[in-house]
Amino acid sequence: MVRIKHIIIAVLVVIFGIWGIWAAVHFFQSEEKKVKKQFHLLSKWTSKETGENTFAMAQKVKNIGKLFAEHCELKANVISFTGRYTTEEISSYAARARFPFSNLSLRFYDFNVAFPEEGSAKVTLTAKLTGRTATGEDVDETHELECALKKIENKWLFSYLEVVEVLKK
Amino acid sequence: MVAVRFAGNKVMLLKRVIAVAGERVEFRNGKLFVDGKEMNEPYVHYPCNWNLPPRQVEKGCIYVVGDNRNMPIENHHFGQAPMKRIIGGPLW
Repeated sequence: MVRIKHIIIAVLVVIFGIWGIWAAVHFFQSEEKKVKKQFHLLSKWTSKETGENTFAMAQKVKNIGKLFAEHCELKANVISFTGRYTTEEISSYAARARFPFSNLSLRFYDFNVAFPEEGSAKVTLTAKLTGRTATGEDVDETHELECALKKIENKWLFSYLEVVEVLKK
Repeated sequence: MVAVRFAGNKVMLLKRVIAVAGERVEFRNGKLFVDGKEMNEPYVHYPCNWNLPPRQVEKGCIYVVGDNRNMPIENHHFGQAPMKRIIGGPLW
């Protein structure tokens, strides 16, 4: 009887152990998916198709702003663009940056996501921007990005975004 | 020549090392000067008119430039790269 009791306890410990590991892995995986989803949305709303109407443009740039924390630090030495910006400023800058393009595509690759502490994520990835300006000039830029996101009210928001300057002239 | 890891694990640039840490790099009318001395560069086959004021390569870095310099200086990927970004060189 005692032996059966021990076996039952052992089985329960193993089951709870496996469930605990699964829950931990599942929790972190789902958080990683949520973080990656923010990049997917940034890509979707930054990209532009030929003939995009004003309403779609306004909606997209407004949505871009919603992906960022209230004060986000942006660092892009390659285009001399560095500072802390509000969501409104980011939306406004996004509108100005998208304007000269007749079509634009932003894609992200090689995600490396880490969670240094609860409610904070650090992401290193490759960003590829391709498009054509209204004057017919082709743009094809690839850069490494370092980003930090914070979980605010259950949403992952960009709080830091840096275009890594690999070659410094 | 070295391969510089430019972005992620897939985007690499193949560049020539022209100076190491502590050396001063400069371009005058397309001619490369290292520590004030004009360098002979037989591998540069196309005309180049770059001008770049002198700058010293920082510690832990090397200065790399491509051989194809027949474009405006602002359109060419070159400059000082941290050694940790150098992942190898060509086999032949």
